[in-house]
Amino acid sequence: MEMFQATLGVFWLIAGGVSFYFSLGNARVWTSIAVGFFLILIGEIIPGALPFLPGLKDPYVLAMGHIIGTISILVMSHGFQEYYVFTRTLDFEGSKLFVYLGVVGVIIASLVFLLINPSPDENVLRTIRIVENTNWVFLSLINIDLIRKIYFNIKDTPIANGFVAFMVVFACIFLWKGSQLYIDVFSLDTIQDTFPIRYEISFWCKNLGNFFASISVGATFLYLGKLLR
Amino acid sequence: MILLPRGNPVKENINPGKVNLVDALGKLRQGKFTGYLRFDFPDGTGIFIYQQGRLISALYQNEREHLIAYDGIARTFRESLAGAGNLNIYRLSTELAYSIHTLLHGEVLHKGQDLQLIDIRSLLTRMREEQRSGCLRIYSKEHIALIFYREGNPLGFFHDGSTDIETTADVSLSVAREPGAKVDVLVTSGDGEKTLADLMETGNVTGMWEACMHERRSHREAQESAASKTLEMRESERRQKSLALFQQLAQTHLGKIGVSLVDKEFERMKLNGGQLNEADLTTFYANLTKAAKLVAGPSKIDKMLDEMKKGFKTFTK
Repeated sequence: MEMFQATLGVFWLIAGGVSFYFSLGNARVWTSIAVGFFLILIGEIIPGALPFLPGLKDPYVLAMGHIIGTISILVMSHGFQEYYVFTRTLDFEGSKLFVYLGVVGVIIASLVFLLINPSPDENVLRTIRIVENTNWVFLSLINIDLIRKIYFNIKDTPIANGFVAFMVVFACIFLWKGSQLYIDVFSLDTIQDTFPIRYEISFWCKNLGNFFASISVGATFLYLGKLLR
Repeated sequence: MILLPRGNPVKENINPGKVNLVDALGKLRQGKFTGYLRFDFPDGTGIFIYQQGRLISALYQNEREHLIAYDGIARTFRESLAGAGNLNIYRLSTELAYSIHTLLHGEVLHKGQDLQLIDIRSLLTRMREEQRSGCLRIYSKEHIALIFYREGNPLGFFHDGSTDIETTADVSLSVAREPGAKVDVLVTSGDGEKTLADLMETGNVTGMWEACMHERRSHREAQESAASKTLEMRESERRQKSLALFQQLAQTHLGKIGVSLVDKEFERMKLNGGQLNEADLTTFYANLTKAAKLVAGPSKIDKMLDEMKKGFKTFTK
């Protein structure tokens, strides 16, 4: 399992690197989307690095990992909404710098908020994780529909197929985070002996969803980079 | 063309379109001028004859028309204001001025008869026997001479440079000896000098001039308005063609959203009917590029812009 986590960490490292690189060289709207996917890397690198860096098992670090995960889905959803508005109104505005600074600012504010409060225990971490996964589950569904609408608006453009790839990404993410949410809400990890099949299915859905999401994110951004050449 | 010898030149080669003709005619009147004004136009000739400051005759003639008096004056004014005329003023004696008047309003008996083929002496004898009044106009490519007759009796000669009817035939008959010389025989019914009315006194020449000026001004304004409308229409057509070209190229490279982007950026230029030029399009291309980056890569966008620029150049040729 540790190896699997490490492998996942490597894939997310690649995916995060590709998406961050993509955010630098393209239009401002793509910055939000790409930065959002990059932040997944931060959230995933921690559990991936844990076997090698046990010091990372600090409650603040773990809590920040989940908070950054939440920020990640909010930022990329915001990006897709902006893109949808562009396809309908042809209007777009803002600067890349504000996106980077805004994200950094929110992360810092979250860290400060965490630090001024008591050290998160298991219950607090679980709650933060549930909030993260709930955001991911519902926003993934919303994003799939939003991307579908975007696709129909830009069907004959060079970039249209890239959005089909994003739909696959969010389908994998939905599977991944939905399974995790299910496990957390029903505390299946504590009652896995009572409901072993449910737990096993959810566990493998979570991990496979995570795995395919990491591959599909990296592949999607590489594909987009090719389309936008 | 009205064939008349040149008298004693007072002024030659004036553009009558640049002169206030009413003022000029008034000055000739005040100066008790005797002679004639010859207006040469591409389409016809105008002749005004003065006798002691009185405008006794006006004539405008071309292949189709023969206008006299006020019609002649008005037409001459109109042609002068068109700007393509040439005015020459020649001084004559009183008698010659009247003779020219009767000549111009007389009847042409024979026209353009080649002197090599005609028996001039028998012609002159006939004039005498029939007691004709009128003149023989002898002309070559370079010179013109008139021989006046009254009731069959020769009065005298008028040729280039003279101011009065002359009695020596040398110069006039030398014209007859020039190669290609021809003769017209004109007869008149005039029997002695009459006091002719002063057209400037009996008619409102000033009013005619102002009416012609007004007509010319209106005509010019209408032409300018038509020209600017034509220019506006042409510019509008050019804008439409440019927009259509840009839309087509955007559709090819960016799809339907490209057409919408072109429409939006074209609208943003706010040309308001003004001319579309390269400077306006620089901003258009920049804005289009910025928006197009969301749906296509730089190479595709650059290719689209190149084709747009090339296409637009063909409309500016």
